[in-house]
Amino acid sequence: MTGNPFFSLQDKHFLVTGASSGIGLCICRSIVASGGKITGTARRGNLLSEMVRELGENNASFIEADLALDEGIDKIAGEVEDIDGLVYAAGISKMSPLKFIKRQNLEEVMNINYFSMVLLLAQLVRQKKIKKNNHSSIVLISSVAQQVGTKSSLLYTGSKGAMSAAGRVIANELSSQKIRVNTIEPGMVQTAMASEMEDVLSSETVEKDKQKYPLGYGTPEDVANAAVFLLSDASRWMTGQSLTLDGGRYKLLD
Amino acid sequence: MDKHQFLQSFAEQFDETDPETISLETKFKEMEEWSSMVALMIIAMVDENYNKKITGSDLRETGTIEELYERVSAK
Repeated sequence: MTGNPFFSLQDKHFLVTGASSGIGLCICRSIVASGGKITGTARRGNLLSEMVRELGENNASFIEADLALDEGIDKIAGEVEDIDGLVYAAGISKMSPLKFIKRQNLEEVMNINYFSMVLLLAQLVRQKKIKKNNHSSIVLISSVAQQVGTKSSLLYTGSKGAMSAAGRVIANELSSQKIRVNTIEPGMVQTAMASEMEDVLSSETVEKDKQKYPLGYGTPEDVANAAVFLLSDASRWMTGQSLTLDGGRYKLLD
Repeated sequence: MDKHQFLQSFAEQFDETDPETISLETKFKEMEEWSSMVALMIIAMVDENYNKKITGSDLRETGTIEELYERVSAK
């Protein structure tokens, strides 16, 4: 491969959660396009096999598992071969005004977006699956939502706030092994999850929101490109950071 | 599903509007207090009380509270 070797993922192997769709799937494609190998996990095995078929068996493999359950986490941590890092892109979103929040929906969102992230990293570190002193890199897909206070987004925003905060702590704990941890905090990205939210809101609300993005809504590729940078040695001096990708939504004000 | 219970639950989502002024014939999107936030409250209320999912288009495509009630009943 030609080009700057710092940006290459050649000879690196990454775990990607949420690999069957949306941002996670796009990140798998970008890692392979940058020369790396991936092991993707998700619940839907049929979509994962499709992903492996598309990317090639030499570049991609999968572990079908439900991250929401301890058995799923144990399966992933047990089966995955040594990695140079991972991307935690599994997540769900649910809109609810404060007064309708119950323990059940709070736990459902916190479980997959936060608890499972922490528990998976705990198992991977305990089993020494993440290579040390080798520029390994962990990327957590959080959200710009956690920097602001969008109405009705509490379930999601709270879980992403927890994720971003945890990222700094884990970065500190793993720094002695030279394993880096950074988060990406994207604004609205066009995925199936975003379309679901659009369906709940009126099209006028979505249109008004879109206009607040000087560069428009993002695409999964926009997030994947940043993930590749954070996984690569090009970012080897960067840890404990959050990278905001929001097309200028929150910094460029009229 | 009870129509009047639905009306009462609907009216409860408003903080400023006197419930007495809200009836089944009210065109809810023309109410002064109507907003995207109230819309989310209505969606959440229907989910909680009736275990039914409605979306923004159900609200868009109905005019009065009664029409919305009929739409929810049919789901």
